[in-house]
Amino acid sequence: MKTKFSGFLALLLAFMMQITFAQEKTVSGTVSDDSGPLPGVSVVIKGTTHGTETDFDGKYSIKANVGAILQFSYVGMETQEKTVGQSNTINVTLKASANVLEEVVVTAQGIKKSKKALGYAVSTVKSDQIQERASGDVARVLSGKTSGVQINATSGMSGSGTNIIIRGYSSFSQSNQPLFIVDGVPFDSGTNTPDDFVNGNSGSSRFLDLDPNSIASISVLKGLAAATLYGSQGRNGVILITTKDGLTGNVPKKTEVNVTQSFFFNEIASMPDYQNEFGNGFDQAFGWFFSNWGPSFKKDGVAGWGNSINPDPTKGFNPDGTLAHPYWTASAATGIPAAFPQFQGARYKWKPYNSVPNFFRIGTIASTSVNIRGASSDGNVSYNMNYGNHDEKGFTPGNTLRRTNLGMGGRAILSNRFTVNGTINFARTDFKTPPVAASTGNDVFGTGSSVFGALFFTPRSVDLTGLPFQNPVTGGSVYYRQNNSIQNPNWTVHNAQFSQFTNRVFGSFATKYDINDNLNLTYRLGLDFTNEHNTNYQNKGGISDFQETVSGFYRTWDNNNTIWDHTIMLNGNYKLNDDMNISFNTGVTSRSEIFDRQGVNSSGQNVFGVLRHFNFNTQTPIQFSSTRNILGALGQVQWDFKNYLFVTAAGRNDWVSNLSTDNRSLFYPSASASFIPTTAIDGLKSDKFLNYLKIRAGYGTSAGFPTGFPIASTLNLNTRAFQDDAGVNTVTNTTGTTLANPNLKPEQVKEFEVGIEARMFKNRANLQLSAYTRKTTDLIVNRPLDPSTGFTQTQTNIGEIHGEGIEADLGVDIFKAKDANAVGWNTHFNFTANESTVRRLGQGTDIIVFAGFSNLGNAAKVGQPLGVMVGSRIKRDAQGNALVNASGNYVEEFGTFNIGDPNPDWILNTTNTVTYKNFNFSFLFNWTHGGDIYSSTISTLLGRGLITETVDRLNTFILPGVQQSTGQPNDVQINNSSYYFSNILFGPNELQVYDGSVLRLQEVSLGYTLPKKMLEKTPFGSLTFTASGYNLWYDAYNTPKGANFDPNVIGTGVGNGRGFDYLNGPSSKRYGFSIKASF
Amino acid sequence: MKRLYKFLSLVFVCSGIVFYSCETTNLNLTKNPNALTPSQADADFLLNGIQVNFGRLVEDLGERGAQLTRIDYMSGRDYPGVYSPSGFDTDWRRAYQGVLNNIRAMQPIATNASLTKHLGMAQFIEAYTMVSLVDFFGDVPYTEAVTGINNLNPKADSGASIYDAALGLLDQAIANFNAPALGTPQIDFFYAGDFGKWIKAANSLKMKIYMQRRLVDANAIASFNAIVSSGNFISNTADDMDFHWAKSDANPDARHPRYAADYTTSGANNYESNWLMGYMDRNNDPRIRYYFYRQVDGMPGQLDVNGNPVPPDEQTSQCSLTPTPQHYLAGGFTFCGLPDGYWGRDHGDDDGIPPDGFLRTVVGVYPAAGEFDDDSFANRQVNPGNGGGGAGITPIMLASTSHFLLAEVAMVAGDMSTAKSHMAMGIDESIKKVQAFGSGLDPDADPTFEPSALAIASFKTAMGDAFDNAATTDDKWNVLAQQFFVSLFGNGIDAYNFYRRTGYPTTLQPNIEPNPGTFIRSNWYPAAYANTNSNATQKSGVSVQVFWDTNPPSPGFPLSN
Repeated sequence: MKTKFSGFLALLLAFMMQITFAQEKTVSGTVSDDSGPLPGVSVVIKGTTHGTETDFDGKYSIKANVGAILQFSYVGMETQEKTVGQSNTINVTLKASANVLEEVVVTAQGIKKSKKALGYAVSTVKSDQIQERASGDVARVLSGKTSGVQINATSGMSGSGTNIIIRGYSSFSQSNQPLFIVDGVPFDSGTNTPDDFVNGNSGSSRFLDLDPNSIASISVLKGLAAATLYGSQGRNGVILITTKDGLTGNVPKKTEVNVTQSFFFNEIASMPDYQNEFGNGFDQAFGWFFSNWGPSFKKDGVAGWGNSINPDPTKGFNPDGTLAHPYWTASAATGIPAAFPQFQGARYKWKPYNSVPNFFRIGTIASTSVNIRGASSDGNVSYNMNYGNHDEKGFTPGNTLRRTNLGMGGRAILSNRFTVNGTINFARTDFKTPPVAASTGNDVFGTGSSVFGALFFTPRSVDLTGLPFQNPVTGGSVYYRQNNSIQNPNWTVHNAQFSQFTNRVFGSFATKYDINDNLNLTYRLGLDFTNEHNTNYQNKGGISDFQETVSGFYRTWDNNNTIWDHTIMLNGNYKLNDDMNISFNTGVTSRSEIFDRQGVNSSGQNVFGVLRHFNFNTQTPIQFSSTRNILGALGQVQWDFKNYLFVTAAGRNDWVSNLSTDNRSLFYPSASASFIPTTAIDGLKSDKFLNYLKIRAGYGTSAGFPTGFPIASTLNLNTRAFQDDAGVNTVTNTTGTTLANPNLKPEQVKEFEVGIEARMFKNRANLQLSAYTRKTTDLIVNRPLDPSTGFTQTQTNIGEIHGEGIEADLGVDIFKAKDANAVGWNTHFNFTANESTVRRLGQGTDIIVFAGFSNLGNAAKVGQPLGVMVGSRIKRDAQGNALVNASGNYVEEFGTFNIGDPNPDWILNTTNTVTYKNFNFSFLFNWTHGGDIYSSTISTLLGRGLITETVDRLNTFILPGVQQSTGQPNDVQINNSSYYFSNILFGPNELQVYDGSVLRLQEVSLGYTLPKKMLEKTPFGSLTFTASGYNLWYDAYNTPKGANFDPNVIGTGVGNGRGFDYLNGPSSKRYGFSIKASF
Repeated sequence: MKRLYKFLSLVFVCSGIVFYSCETTNLNLTKNPNALTPSQADADFLLNGIQVNFGRLVEDLGERGAQLTRIDYMSGRDYPGVYSPSGFDTDWRRAYQGVLNNIRAMQPIATNASLTKHLGMAQFIEAYTMVSLVDFFGDVPYTEAVTGINNLNPKADSGASIYDAALGLLDQAIANFNAPALGTPQIDFFYAGDFGKWIKAANSLKMKIYMQRRLVDANAIASFNAIVSSGNFISNTADDMDFHWAKSDANPDARHPRYAADYTTSGANNYESNWLMGYMDRNNDPRIRYYFYRQVDGMPGQLDVNGNPVPPDEQTSQCSLTPTPQHYLAGGFTFCGLPDGYWGRDHGDDDGIPPDGFLRTVVGVYPAAGEFDDDSFANRQVNPGNGGGGAGITPIMLASTSHFLLAEVAMVAGDMSTAKSHMAMGIDESIKKVQAFGSGLDPDADPTFEPSALAIASFKTAMGDAFDNAATTDDKWNVLAQQFFVSLFGNGIDAYNFYRRTGYPTTLQPNIEPNPGTFIRSNWYPAAYANTNSNATQKSGVSVQVFWDTNPPSPGFPLSN
């Protein structure tokens, strides 16, 4: 058939050539579809690289020889060919392609499949939804763009970690973070922090090393059926990233250069709404306290400062409304009065200072991206190069992020049936931040410092930016409190820092050998090597309960992480008969992870400010290493029938290196099917209504292997555990706190999903729906043990978690632009709802607190949502009345009571794109409904009397409830400060929990593309200007307005904890513009 | 096909380079390179760890006991809420994981190597630890404890059976101390290798155990007296058992924890107890300058050292402007402040913390090796390194305690004169002990402020007179008990037990809250136990009494709450 046709064509050509030999002329015309002219249609002379595109009116013109064949192609349309004849005009009407959904997606192990054949959900995000964004973090850019994926920032700090959860949490001791695959090979996406969340949880998630501008597309494999071939690594879903370097298949032959330059401003978005009526003190009396319950800024009235006029100039107010300067009256032992003789006798004005807003700055983000690609004239050799530079200044002083990316990729189809392709990338990321650690309204409670620990509740009358922060004699921190017990945030910025300087090389090498038309053999090698150089220091003179922090410390360590990945696969594709095809992939793979940490911890600084290890008194080593290998054998078979029924079966067996021989191997199968009724059933498909319908179902399994060395019994040795009378350090042995469990098995996940995909109304509406249930059993649990067992925890397999959820994506072209002057409006919704419930815990356990603190954290409780927040509550009597003590405050009942559910009920995102002429306007709006948050930020702002909610403070409160001692209704009056301070801030934990529902304008942008005509005489192929903003507005509508709190924060860092804020997460808003040019 | 071989050989070569020595396919990587294995354990190193954990445990429980008995300040108006269950997690972990489990790890090694002294010390430490856990919590796991994977939910044993077991352990310990050993411990933090003193300590601990269970054990006093008549117990301060802290402030921080908390660059973190300071100040107790260091010479709202009134100050002492609560007025207790610059807090006071770190009175040279109070006041405000640098002690078994227990035996028997003489000996041993911590430890102190022999003698006379002049037996008990409590500054475990056993003294400052709930007769089970052990149930309340406490329930007993 094929030969016959080409023969006929050749004949036809020869005939035509005879009469129109070498006659070049200009052909023009209009290309349209059934709704009108079609701009952007590619018009190419067949067999050459000459071509053009239709303009906004669907018009084109091209020089061609008579007899040449013009190819008209457009995405979603059937390609048409017309031969140039006598006429100078060729008008074409393109028809919607029957194969409109022959969209090819990248699936597990890089296997490309037609989307209609998939029995499971895959979301694809195109590069235009990722590029030119204000964040250099690919995960944050991805946020809200696909259903089923929940992305949370640990904070708005530049370079801070990002938490990604696909289809909810299915495990609670194992990681729930998805697998990153970049250009076919695994990519480390871990987050290394200097310490735990209490003492310092700054640290970037390593996908930060990717330049979003260099990404061609992202596929998100959500379900297990989709990820089976990745084995246990894929159980949390897979983010498959294809970079432009890795996409070298369809490169234009002419060299194309794309340059993007962006510039953004970066501001704190969650600035509280501070009140300006009252200042520092307690009970309307002045004092240099933490709290802001002092007198009014007015002289008169019951709360006026006039009541505290004191003849002693060092106490209370002078009649002119001034106080003694705090550096004059500070305790002599602080050294402050001696170090600041200029403040002896100085007066300090009693007024509100705008300390917190002035502390922050407007950061900037400049990013440049250059992309060059091209191919040899025969298309057999193609290449791509990327350069990216991202330079970001955070809104917090001392916070910066700089990144340089260099990448290169290429492909060569060799004459001997070999195809080789490879990528190599280099990323250099330099992240610096002042220390950030947990605080609950009394400054930090761990061993580290935190720039935010005491910042947000700076009393209104304290002039943070006006007071010197450094003792000129010692270099130590000085601040307003009379015993100098708060580390000045400005001192922290100048004298303490955590930095992560990363050099990373990653890439892949792949080769394919075509055995015959039906069979090929591939080998792929992936290498990802990261050197993360960490520095954490604080000069001496800080304020802490921890002497090592006060004495100054300097810690430097390198994390070297290597992933080697080899895969050999045999791929085949056979046509069984006219109706049936079968294809298969089978292979073996090995993955080796090597983590190695080396460094030195020094403490006791001698010369102030000198950060070299020799300048410190003691040194201890930092050393940790871990190696784990996973081997896999995998196979997949797909059978399809008449292009409307597709059945896939897959399986993988994994062997892991850190479990006992009996438990190290596990097989997990999957099966999925896809059925296209619109193809199978005649008459179902109609042009006006249902264009396409697919029904799919999939069943998948996977496993979670533990990390580390869970079956090894350990003994600790500490050479500096203590010191004896003679001053000699004591060496101790202590048994390991983790009980080894030689019987530890992998945990198992099973998932069943169904879905439909449909296109309707001339492809104007596009719907994808998925529903799934999943079950995790034999959970690997870091089970806390009663220390009376001799151990504090063990990894064990217990329990069952049941998850279910739905995901929906709906896209509608509300207006389809008929011509350049018409308005086009596309709207897209995605909806995610997910619920994970603990069904069983087993082994006599009814609660496991797996994140946070044992008495305030996220727990697994039978019958409760996974991650339910537990803590203390208001004690109640048998009738449920709150109990109040004799002071009039709530009685706290200690224990692990439910205080909130941090899981949102649902998340709805909508993206709207409006095009008009050369303008393009779009916005992404997010609505997260539900999800509680324990917010130290809110409770501190209330409890310390700082925000507008606390202005009405002269009245008394009577807490509803009954007196504990009498059972009678409570009638004890307490004042406003006691209400907020002793109950809301430092009372039962349940009072610090708020509903975290939030509406957010996540992205908004306005772009303008210069008309082609204007560029004709310039070197530019295209030029686009875009102004955009990120997180410009949000409203956590169930939290106190004055706190302006942004619930998009994870105080416990990247991991399985959520719903906690420990004064460590201001959020950021960004706005600016970018220019994109191609040459 | 030829090309296929070419391909395969290419793959083979490539992977040969990177699969080097099968590094990526090795499936036997179960050993943890980041720690030793249990087979590499060393008996000395284990015993070092056991001792340090034990020292920290006793210090911690001692502070809790002292807070409950007004020897130290307690913050919390509501007894059931003062110490949350999770507040005891660290102690529980230290006791079982830090002490007991390491003892179990050491025992086979020490037994095989005939390290009897190691075993004896471990047995003493185990006995003291288990008895203290019973005293604080009641029934706790013991026979099923620390068996690792064999039992993840150890059941509690009765307190009485644990007491019996402890006595057995102490007999074994004494036998081990007497037995020959192939080696002595590398470090002995308590007696520097003097095993005669260890035997005395073991006997003293037996005396303490008998005394504690005298309400439920008819033979307790006879058993107690049998040891007394042997004479082989701690009766002289020279034999006192103390845990010794060191000066290193970081890496490791081996300082006395109370020193570390108070001698900081931003001043003190702890308050001292107004009851104890007031009682000692009123009685011209010669130990007061050792126990407490005053940073100022007067407190707001009170008379300073020169007898001049100091104006109230809302900023540094909020309560200096508030009226005395009715129940304090009625009982004649001091409120808010004390004269002479003793700046502490009342029992239960939970006000916010003003910036008074360089104003309040801090722990002195005894037992925390801080500063000796030589009236330097603000000239020697606290700062890291001041005084003895924190190389102090945690007292564990004291000669003074032996005498006070002997006095208790006499009181129970109605023998007032013996009681008085043992009380006097107890005071004497205590003063002797405390005086050893004077200017020798705090080189910057002016030694002329150390009490004269005359002052000490007159104090002792005054205490004897107070006992004699006490109108009732209750009042005599109160004199004895108050002096016992003074001697226990630094470790309140014995005070907490004595208070629940006898109900004395009845003169302690009550909680500032008029309705503070029932006194803590035993503490909440630690969250780490109650929440993770399926055989554990949290107790119904802190009013639950331990097995040896057959006194009337709270409230009503003890009286002064």
